[in-house]
Amino acid sequence: MSKHRVSRRQFLSYTLTGVGGFMAAGMLMPMVRFAIDPVLTAEAGGDFIATPLKIKDITTEPQRVDFTFEQKDAWYTSEVTNTAWVYRDEQDNIIALSPVCKHLGCTVGWATSKDHPDQFFCPCHFGRYTKDGTNVKGTPPIAPLDVYPLKEKDGLLYLGKAEPRTKEA
Amino acid sequence: MKWVSKDIETYLTAKEYVDTAVIPLYSVSFGNEMKHSASSAEFITLLTNYLERQFTGRIMLVPPYTYLKNDQYEDIIKGLKKWEENIEKNEFKHIFYITSEIEWKNFEDELDGSLIWLPSLPLEHLDESQKISMIESQVKQLLSLFTQIWHENL
Repeated sequence: MSKHRVSRRQFLSYTLTGVGGFMAAGMLMPMVRFAIDPVLTAEAGGDFIATPLKIKDITTEPQRVDFTFEQKDAWYTSEVTNTAWVYRDEQDNIIALSPVCKHLGCTVGWATSKDHPDQFFCPCHFGRYTKDGTNVKGTPPIAPLDVYPLKEKDGLLYLGKAEPRTKEA
Repeated sequence: MKWVSKDIETYLTAKEYVDTAVIPLYSVSFGNEMKHSASSAEFITLLTNYLERQFTGRIMLVPPYTYLKNDQYEDIIKGLKKWEENIEKNEFKHIFYITSEIEWKNFEDELDGSLIWLPSLPLEHLDESQKISMIESQVKQLLSLFTQIWHENL
């Protein structure tokens, strides 16, 4: 027998504190979890889609990359392939531009016009964009090309949903 | 532009930019030729959809003109001529017909629009990425044909 005898009062107060502690923790944990929930989901990273393009293969010359994901259209699920123009700018930042012309939605190509080899060109109505996606004044488009949010994972490029820019030429 | 209300709405506000109508021609037959009929329709559907994606802002992809293969060609042409009249009345400067039926070549002169004939490729054994690259290579040739015709009529 140990020298230190536990009285009935002490025993009861220890057990009550213990059980009370568990109960409090049981109530508080979910609350804390809910409170910091936005932080946790942001880390999970929304809907980023893997592209076959390796980060180290990205050069200063825009290159075309196709990526496929599943899209649900009412009850019809289909595989959709999207395209991005990806390059590194002078500050070594990776830029991914949407190829959808801001005029009426044709697909623009890089350097497909002989007269403007360093611009994005839309074959439908001869709209043009500079390398950073800004629309050239005097051509039909009225806004710069959309930009994909991007991130790197396992050396591959991941792209999110293209977002419009507000900056105008 | 596709034949959906959202695209048509855009079209109505930007009519002067969309001057080209694309009409796929589908031949339908039953019995032994059913499979061939379906696979060529599938090919034309994929192809025209990809084409529409490239040139969304300038072409209108009209619902396909569908006819029975064993029908008289005079009747088929007559029906298509009616479509042509209606489309031309509505300010489309260029009309393109896309088909995989070689017979249409014989009637090319009777039509005002340009007829594009492509041999149908069997796509059912290919996986998605092969399918896409195959269609892409076919459409690439069409793209230059379209831009060329647009340039001629500037």
